[in-house]
Amino acid sequence: MIDVCSLSELQPGAKRLVECDELEIGVFNCDGTIYAIEDRCSHDDGPLVEGGFDPQACTIECPRHGSVFDIRTGKPKTLPAYVPVDTFTVVIEDDTIKLEVE
Amino acid sequence: MATPETIPPVLTENEQLRGINADYTERYGFHDAEHYLYKAPKGLTRELVAKISEFKSEPTWMREFRLKALDHFLARPMPTWGSPMLAEVDFDDIHYFVRASERAERSWDDVPEDVKRTFDRLGIPEAERKFLSGVGAQYESEVVYHQIHEDLEKQGVIFLDMDSALRDHEEIVREYFATIIPPNDNKLAALNSAVWSGGSFVYVPPGVKVDMPLQAYFRINTESMGQFERTLIIADEGSYVHYVEGCTAPTYSSSSLHSAVVELIAKPGARIRYTTVQNWSTNVFNLVTKRAVAERDATVEWVDCNLGSKLTMKYPSVYLMGERAHGEILSIAFAGKDQHQDAGGKIVHAAPNTTSNIFAKSISKDGGRGSYRGLLEIAKGAHGSRSKVVCDALLLDEHSRSDTYPTIRISEDDVNVGHEATVSKVGDDQLFYLMSHGISEQEASKLIVNGFIEPITKELPMEYAVEMNRLIELQMEGSIG
Repeated sequence: MIDVCSLSELQPGAKRLVECDELEIGVFNCDGTIYAIEDRCSHDDGPLVEGGFDPQACTIECPRHGSVFDIRTGKPKTLPAYVPVDTFTVVIEDDTIKLEVE
Repeated sequence: MATPETIPPVLTENEQLRGINADYTERYGFHDAEHYLYKAPKGLTRELVAKISEFKSEPTWMREFRLKALDHFLARPMPTWGSPMLAEVDFDDIHYFVRASERAERSWDDVPEDVKRTFDRLGIPEAERKFLSGVGAQYESEVVYHQIHEDLEKQGVIFLDMDSALRDHEEIVREYFATIIPPNDNKLAALNSAVWSGGSFVYVPPGVKVDMPLQAYFRINTESMGQFERTLIIADEGSYVHYVEGCTAPTYSSSSLHSAVVELIAKPGARIRYTTVQNWSTNVFNLVTKRAVAERDATVEWVDCNLGSKLTMKYPSVYLMGERAHGEILSIAFAGKDQHQDAGGKIVHAAPNTTSNIFAKSISKDGGRGSYRGLLEIAKGAHGSRSKVVCDALLLDEHSRSDTYPTIRISEDDVNVGHEATVSKVGDDQLFYLMSHGISEQEASKLIVNGFIEPITKELPMEYAVEMNRLIELQMEGSIG
């Protein structure tokens, strides 16, 4: 389990990148619900967190070739990516956002 | 008797070139006087993109889609791979939107007279009467004529120009539009997404087979024109459709740009065949993105014939997303003087027991360059998949060039992949053999080329195979029609 930040530091519509050993994880606040996905596009390793975030649709668009991912499931909604990215379980403890990382 | 080394050419290179241009000008290279409703000044601006959307009375989401795509286009560098000719594309020297008529008419009688005369001369209404299920005719930026057989319409088949489809079937367009090729896929897809206009929308309901092809014909008339049509075809479960497209333009000394985006979706058990006979004049940059998805038990076939243009960069692709899906890419490219045909195809096996074939043939002559560029990818989990890639190149003289850039990525053990590539020159010994049977050198060359491309032309509908053979024979002969 790793700590990300306090809830108040990730307001609805906000996103941030956290690092844990070799892993880079994007953490997103989709209109009040926090999700976390691997920060690496399954198509061409693009840094997802740097892409366009749509908090209402809860999607992120890879800045490299435009694949749109559903942040809740990690599944691509458009090509050219076709393989889902990893998702991480989010736990809120004492107003702190934490991620379960194996 | 002449030895193979001393056989004189039947026609000099100059004679051949003169022949090609003379025929193209006469048959396709003519242009009409301009009586346009609107012709944008050259250059691409944010205001123009917004204006195109406004002209078409589009919903807000499409306007925003276009403007965001423009940002992507401006932010992306020009690709550095492909052809050195890419550097010659001048995006500031293009008319991005030209409107020739009020709307897509359903009767040829309502199409502006000179535009109708052009399509008559190109044989489109005649082909429609003889062997097509429906026709769309695009002139400059927009479709001027669109019609489909009544019985297909009754079965629920939708065949519209893309602008009308967005107006009349917004929900289904919004669901699928740009899901196969997102605006930021590549620089040219971003450009198309910003300024797209015209193209076709096809929806075939479950189980419906469209027996005769639907055809779209794309015509550029004015100088320094940019044509950016957008096509989306959805074949629902168990349906079948064959879509054919052709294109021509007048020959000008300045360059034009054609940059289309074509998205195909074959639902479970459906089959889509998409045939292109590309015959742009040799001042057109043809930079096109075409991609398809084949779901479970579906088949997508691209039959891609590239004869014209200055530079073509086009690699139709199929993503095999469902079990037992099948993808097929048949590609012919003919590169003559000052032409570079950079063509090929991509197949991605993303599901088990999927199958695919890529057969690519290129012919280069008079210093032309033919390149095969392909990708075959087999993803982890796509076990039991089979694929065969064959790319052959034929060089007709010493000055011409052929390149092959195949990429194969396999992430699964239990698969069967074959790759073959050949480059051959029309040998003096082959010519000598045929000529020793009383055949002229010109006829002998034609026989060799016809034999070379026959595996692909036999896949074309008869009328197009005849036209394709005629075009290739003309290029070979350099004769006047």
